[in-house]
Order: sequence, then C-alpha cells, then structure tokens
Amino acid sequence: MAYTELVKNFECIRSYMREFYVYGFKSRDEYEKKSTRTYDNERRRIESYLGDYMAFRQTQNGKNVFLSIDSRNTVHNPLYKALKSKSFTDGDITLHFILFDILHSADIALTLNKITDKIDKEYLSCFKNPMIFDESTVRKKLKEYIMLGMISSNKQGKQMVYSRNESTDLASWNDALKFFSEAGLNGVIGSFLLDKTDKGHEHFSFKHHYITYALESEILCELLKAVSEKRIVTIKNYTRRSDNDKIWDVLPLKIFISVQNGRRYLLGYNFPLHEIKSYRLDFITDVKIGDISPRFCELREKLSEMQEHMWGVYCNKRHTSLEHVEFTVHAGDNEEHIYRRLNREKRCGTVERIDKHTCRFMADVYDTSEMIPWIRTFICRITTMNFSNRTIENQFKRDIEDMYLLYGVGGEE
Amino acid sequence: MLFNEIYGCYYNTVAKILSSAVKRNLTSDEMKQIICDNAFSESFLTIIPALVNEQWQLLNPELNTPLKHEPTMPLTMLQKRWLKAISLDTHIKLFPVSFDFLDGIEPLFTTEDYVVFDRYNDGDPYEDESYIQNFHLILDAIHRKKKVRIQYESKKGNHRTILCAPYQLEYSEKDDKFRLLISGCRFADTINMGRIKECEIINESTALCIVPKQKNSEFFIMELVDERNALERIMLHFAHFKKEAERISENSYRVKIYYDSDDETELIIRILSFGPFIKVTEPESFVNLIKERLIMQKSCQLK
Repeated sequence: MAYTELVKNFECIRSYMREFYVYGFKSRDEYEKKSTRTYDNERRRIESYLGDYMAFRQTQNGKNVFLSIDSRNTVHNPLYKALKSKSFTDGDITLHFILFDILHSADIALTLNKITDKIDKEYLSCFKNPMIFDESTVRKKLKEYIMLGMISSNKQGKQMVYSRNESTDLASWNDALKFFSEAGLNGVIGSFLLDKTDKGHEHFSFKHHYITYALESEILCELLKAVSEKRIVTIKNYTRRSDNDKIWDVLPLKIFISVQNGRRYLLGYNFPLHEIKSYRLDFITDVKIGDISPRFCELREKLSEMQEHMWGVYCNKRHTSLEHVEFTVHAGDNEEHIYRRLNREKRCGTVERIDKHTCRFMADVYDTSEMIPWIRTFICRITTMNFSNRTIENQFKRDIEDMYLLYGVGGEE
Repeated sequence: MLFNEIYGCYYNTVAKILSSAVKRNLTSDEMKQIICDNAFSESFLTIIPALVNEQWQLLNPELNTPLKHEPTMPLTMLQKRWLKAISLDTHIKLFPVSFDFLDGIEPLFTTEDYVVFDRYNDGDPYEDESYIQNFHLILDAIHRKKKVRIQYESKKGNHRTILCAPYQLEYSEKDDKFRLLISGCRFADTINMGRIKECEIINESTALCIVPKQKNSEFFIMELVDERNALERIMLHFAHFKKEAERISENSYRVKIYYDSDDETELIIRILSFGPFIKVTEPESFVNLIKERLIMQKSCQLK
C-alpha cells in the first residue's frame, strides 16, 4: 500500500514513538518486530508530525533516529500530534463539513430526506463529477455523530428530524485548557479543544512532566469509561516474559499514576487469577469494554484498604503477612529539611524523631523492594536499617558497597 | 473513540481553509500558509490536491466553496465529559470558568478513579482563598503584561517585598506546586506561589524587561548497565529531560542528560535512587558531589 501521512490504527506508530523518544539509540536493523518498510513508513510519519524534534546520530551500527524533547521547554505536548492523525475517506470529510453547514445552528431541524436533498442540490451540484451520498450513507454518518454527542435526533410527527447540539464558547476556558491539557488526566482532550480556540500567549510551563503519557491516551480513555460505568474489560497486555500478548478479563478499579518514574498503571481485579493486580498502561495494547460487574464497589473498597500498605502498585494478596521496613537517618544541625523531606515524601508509614539529630521511618508494606529507590535517596545519612525481608536488606547493603567500588570510595575503583 | 478524525489535524486545517473561503476570496498562497501553520510537514501533498481536484468536494478549482457558514462543530460528549471531570479537580479554582453548560453531564472520571501515588504531600493550598486570589491576580498581570509588587516569605522565613515582571507560571507535577517565573528583579528569578503573602498589580508595562531565564544549560553523562531491568527504568525515569543515548557495548549504555543548575541536588538524589546501576562519568564536579555523599554514607557505618 502506498504511504500516507495519516493512519487507521494508532497502535503501530505508538510503539515507534515511544522507542524514539524514551530510548533513541536503536538503528533501523534493531527494530526486529516489523519489516524495514514498516520502519521507514513510521519514521517518515513521525518526522512529518514531529520534524522539529527529530534528531539523528550516525553510529557504527547505522543511523539512530531519536526524538529530543525537553518537556520543561515545551508548553504543548508535541506527542499529542500523533493522536490527531486518524485517516478518513473522501466521503467522510466532505459529508462532515456539508452536514454541519446545513445544520449550522441548533434551531435547524431537518429530516434525512431534506438533508440528502440539500447535499445534492445546494452543495455538490457545482462540482464537475458530484459525489453521490444515498440516504443510508447520510443516515449512517448522522448516527455516528449522534453517538459522538454532536447531533440529536427527535421525532417530529411521524418523521425523525436531526439538529446539531448547542455550541459552547470556550474562550474563557483558555488558561484552564492550557493547564489541564498538560497536567490533567487524558489531557489530549483538552488539546483537541485548544485546537478550536485562539491560542494566544503561553503562560504555563511544566516541570517533571512525562509527555509519553500522551501515547497511552486512548487506552486510558477506554479504561476510565469502564471505571465510570463499573464495567469489566478485556485487555491485551504485553509482558516482557513472553513473546505473546496476554489477554485478561479485568475489572478496572483505579488508575495509579507516578509523577516520578514515568509509568501509569491500571489496578484491576483479574477474574481468572482471583486477585487485584497492576497493569502498566504502556504495556496494554487493546481494551474492549464488556458487562457491568456487581462487585465493583466491594473490590474498590478492598483496594482502598490495601492502599494503606502500598508504597507503589504492588498489592499481591498471596503475601500472608506485611513486610516491616525501618531505617534511621542522621540530620545535622542545620538540616531540619531532612525531617520535612521524610514527611513530605512518605506515602505510608510514620516518621518520628529519636533525638535532635536522628529520625526514624517505619512502615509495613506489601513489597519492600518498591521502597528501595526512595530509601537510596537518603544515602549519606542512613545510620541503621531493619527490614523483615532480610534478603532485600542485604541486597541494599551490597548495592551500597558496589557504589563505593564504582566511585572508588574507600578502596580501589 | 478518542482516536477519531474529527479531532484530527486535517479536519482542523480544512476547517480553517474553508473558513477563509467563506469569509473572503481564498488564495492559493493563503491555503498553503494555513496548512503550513496547522498541519503536519507533508500534509500539503495531500490536502491541496484533494481540495483543488474535487476529491474532497468542499472547494472548486477556483477555490470557492459551496459552504455558506464558517465551519463550527459542537462539543462531543467525550469533550464534555472531560470538561466535567476537570471541573471536579482541586486546581480548577485557579481559573475563573463557568460550568453551567455541563449540568447533567457524567464526568469521564472523578478524583476517586485515580491516585497520584508518589506526589509529595506538601503541595500548594489550592482551596485557600488568598492563594486563589493571588493566583488570579498574577495570571491577570501576566496577561496584561503588567508589573507586580509581591510580598513573600523567603526560604529562611524572612519577609521580602519586590517589584518584578511576571511572565510564566511553572507547575511541577511531582511537587504539586506552582513557581512564578519573574524578570527584572535582582534578588530572584522564581518565587514559589505558595510563599506569596500579598501582591498587587502596578500600572507599569513589562514589555521591555522580560528576559526569560536560560533553562537546562548544564549536563552530566552517566553510564548504565542493563541489569534488573535498569535500562527501561532509567530511561523512563529521565524521559522528561532533553537527552542523548548511545549503546557502548552489548548491555551497557551512555546517556547525556541536560538539566537546570537549580536542580542539581534533586538530580543527585535521583541518580542515587538507582544505586549501582548508574555511574556518572562527567563532569568531574558532578561526580565529586556523588562521591561526597558516598563518603558520608561510609562514615555512618551502616552494618
């Protein structure tokens, strides 16, 4: 098939964009899953959408393509552009603009017959080879727009009439849209709205801003719809441990978002496994919404109880007991901020002062290993530690020894 | 579905072209400019022939349109549900908007449907009336390009008053805080919004005194070994920085990260969180900062 700038399905380009943005060191030959032609097409598309951010490096293994985006200096997430690349037919676009021109105000209500007649006589008759839209095609398009909430149908006597829904002036929402399109959940929808408004000046910028979340927008949107209706979903999930995607029936309960590691998760009840599990959104490749579950409230309540002992997203019920984590840190005379840091950054557990220079953190969690990166941030002041999971405690201490070696501290490098 | 052509860049671009055609005589150059400003870099190869060759029967070769009105589109239900959802967010009070048109709409999500599990606990007070008032005033000053007099509490607890030109509000998702970027003041180039006690607009234009702060002028280079899934974790963790990555052997990589000098301590902490999987190699000053922390740790005699 000839190359086109637009795509029917977002999934293929999604994985390439992620590779180019997050990693950016692979050459063409290393994209094993797809043919080189697919690679060339996707690279060309991404270059077309994001040319300003595309960069190249020649290495021994070939040319590496990567996306170089500093999200702190970018006021609008550039990855949203890829979500505005859905393909359509000639008929789709022609009918779209003509329909909304015929139904240009919410006061106008017309029958299908009248609309079809107007399309032919008032809009297409001026073209050399006018397109032909029969009633069934127009009805199908109207039905599609009713489903999208842009058009309403009402019975007038025996006939069905169609009218557009009221338009809304969002001029006063400009600042709010600029903020929430970046910092809000499913912000791409705000970006769709901003496309219709006067852009004006940019008064907001964003720090610690993981723009790759854009690539999961469609998956997240379906999951949120399912959560709001308490529906079960069938998800297709990629796992590193297997070549094949897994298919699971899951009741979505809550979305867990990290603003520190660039990942978002679905926490949901897995019916075949009978447990609440986490699924990374960037590993979910398809969502199909199914039936309503009567167990939603009960299971969400259970998850809320579990959250008291979750540092991250791990909540495996098979753990018979919680793991105890305890460590103390030293804070010098002018280091009151260490106590504040512990309190500010803890997600569960308690912080107490033992004496003027020592603070203790304690928590009981499902999985000690989730806490390790955070505890490491206190390296330079950790004085004691006491984990009930001795394996992890020993690993932590070995890692610190490895760091001494790595940087040549107290021995040979 | 969210991935739909009605939200797409082609529909938006064609709407702008048709809008021009309805208002006045559209020219070929104008059409090209609209495509260049609104669509993708190769879109002109598709849009222009499709319109002028009557493939999309919306313009004739003379660039006249049978449309009688400038194209507009009502909000979709998905857009309304999203707006309703953000109307429930705690940050919405910072923006003077009305939600009347959303009555009866089901939100796409509520605050019960998601949790930001690693956000710091001392975010800005978004329910506090004086914070909201200060935010509105400063946003207004930025819009109108006016200077402001700000009284704020410094990190050391001292009260200061400054006259400055505010030009941007920077939001940190991790801290859940806003920082005001300012120009024209000797003492500061940023102020935490949460530290502002009082502010007022001064009838003096900021037009000539805004010199935006140079961001991300520093860099460090790290090497990492892909063990225990370290590569994926590290690359995702640092994804929001401008960076360059290269493979240096079978499972080891070199990554150059650009950062702002104000964030050096935060960067060191973030690097430490990866333990022995990252080794910073350049610059030496940065390496020394990590070494200092390790030397201090060694002196703690953790057994």
